[in-house]
Amino acid sequence: MKKNDLTSMGKSFTKYILIIGALLILLDFTFHRHEYFSFAEIYGFPAFFGFISFVFIVLLGKWLRKFLMRKEDYYDQ
Amino acid sequence: MISNIIPGLIMILTSFLLPTIPQYFRQPAMLLSVGLSALSLFNGYGTFLEWDVLGLNLILYQSDSLTFPFSIIFHIAAVLVIIFSWHSKNLMEHMATLAYAGSAIGALHAGDFFSLFIWWEATALTSVFIVFAGNTKSARDAAMRYLIIQVSSGVLLLIGACLLLYQTGNHNLTVLDLTTDFGIFIFIAFGIKAAFPFLNGWLQDSYPESSVTGTVALSAFTTKLAIYALARTFPGTDSLIWIGAIMTAFPVFFAVIENDLRRVLSFSLNNQLGFMVVGIGIGTELSLNGTVAHAFVHIIYKALLFMSMGAVLYRAGTTKASELGGLYKYMPFTTIFCIIGAMSISAFPLFSGFVAKSLIMSSLGGMGMVLIYFVLFFASAGVLEHSGIKIPYFAFFAHERKSKVKEAPINMLIAMGIAAFLCIGIGVFPKYLYLILPYTVEYQPYTIDHVISQLQLLVFAIIAFLFLVKFKLYPSEIKSTVLNSDWFYRKMLPGIGKPLFKKIGLLTEFIYENLRFFFRLILNKSHKFSNSSYIKVTTPSFAATILISILFIMLLIVLL
Repeated sequence: MKKNDLTSMGKSFTKYILIIGALLILLDFTFHRHEYFSFAEIYGFPAFFGFISFVFIVLLGKWLRKFLMRKEDYYDQ
Repeated sequence: MISNIIPGLIMILTSFLLPTIPQYFRQPAMLLSVGLSALSLFNGYGTFLEWDVLGLNLILYQSDSLTFPFSIIFHIAAVLVIIFSWHSKNLMEHMATLAYAGSAIGALHAGDFFSLFIWWEATALTSVFIVFAGNTKSARDAAMRYLIIQVSSGVLLLIGACLLLYQTGNHNLTVLDLTTDFGIFIFIAFGIKAAFPFLNGWLQDSYPESSVTGTVALSAFTTKLAIYALARTFPGTDSLIWIGAIMTAFPVFFAVIENDLRRVLSFSLNNQLGFMVVGIGIGTELSLNGTVAHAFVHIIYKALLFMSMGAVLYRAGTTKASELGGLYKYMPFTTIFCIIGAMSISAFPLFSGFVAKSLIMSSLGGMGMVLIYFVLFFASAGVLEHSGIKIPYFAFFAHERKSKVKEAPINMLIAMGIAAFLCIGIGVFPKYLYLILPYTVEYQPYTIDHVISQLQLLVFAIIAFLFLVKFKLYPSEIKSTVLNSDWFYRKMLPGIGKPLFKKIGLLTEFIYENLRFFFRLILNKSHKFSNSSYIKVTTPSFAATILISILFIMLLIVLL
């Protein structure tokens, strides 16, 4: 096992995910996606929503570290 | 004959016998008792056992379309836990686990609030030993906190049940609302065990402290019992929709920054409960079916995830993200099972989470609740973040591992394999799950709109993850404690209480000192007074002088 196993795995994973993502967006143009709310029927809305939500969650979580993060032995002191 | 025995009771009795059974026969005996208890599933619906005691009619064993799916999944969970802990020689934990699962199953079949209370406390008292069996100082401390919280929930339930009986003369399990005082007591009692916002601290505090196998047992029963109880007594309670929505969204942020992966899973468990609570709050047949279906599949994939992290803890000695990574080379099967669990909880199409969550989302969409719908949609991205990506990524990939570890023991792999099989089986053939739900509803989860929509959400959330990692924006693993609502009673209350009691102590001492000084003063004065030459004639003694002065003070006080 070489050291760059993980990096190469990561690269091919990224490649396939990007291809699948592109396909999903293209698929959206081929038919009318019925949703419960009309604004969610905009092309690629779930994709956009997923991407933004994920970034928002991670960045807000990271910012919350300022308030919520303590040392590992915080409760033992 | 067997139809009159409370389901689960045989498991509790077997647990008492376990110490007398040789070690190699313990697990088979446990499995046998679960099997015997599961025979009750064939009894059909109805009331099977009542008991008149102290003028109360206790319904000890009833079953209907709501208890049935919960009973099935509790039995399955018990089997999974027993197989997963086959290698363990910890007798106390085996006993506690079997009795705990039995109590939870017994609780499902209680038909009135008093029998429910007995089982409710039984689950608390048995499960605390599982936390205790973690056998570290922090586990023992957490166990005591866990016990206090769980028993408080039981006490609130008992108060509610007594008020209910006193005010209405009825104590059977019925639909309640929040306009009555007993309704509120019972609601909070259930809310504690269902880990409502700010009542959730015990969950993330205790579950990750218990042993490799203990967490798997804990994750299945208590919270889902609370979900069952809420579904039975508070369906259609509007406030549950909001409470549930907050539960889905809030733990997500905590899970992002938590370092202990079993604690991340505990936050994730909390978030999953939120989906179920929303389903109860909507209260339609479709949404209640969604709640039950979600509880059913959730128990399996959550157990699977906790089992995979248990296997990691067993082999690598820790579940801290900052110390893990690269395990995929050494634990390939565990890695695959973990990823199946992760894809199920993230609700990928063809996995069990998808077919259950769809029911709740559809009922929200059908009711036109746009805000809640998108809070849950947002939370779905959050589930993917912490359970779908963070857990497998940091445990098995992230970076190369320097030291070798072994693959999980065969019994663990079998238990994980069964759970993984069920996750995919239910995802591919959802009709079998839908058959056992409380209401018959025609529902098709696999519509092209739904599949594409969900896949877009998930795939682009994964792309967001890759993007954040690429640009080094993803928060790194840091050894830390993340504050949670248990902070209020672990830090804030002692923080206020300790100095306060110290102050009160100082104050009483001060008052006492002054009083003593005051009495000395009286004593000295009267001593002098009684010894003085001109008073000796009329005052007989020193004691009388003191008495007189005290009487004089009392007179003054009375007059004032």
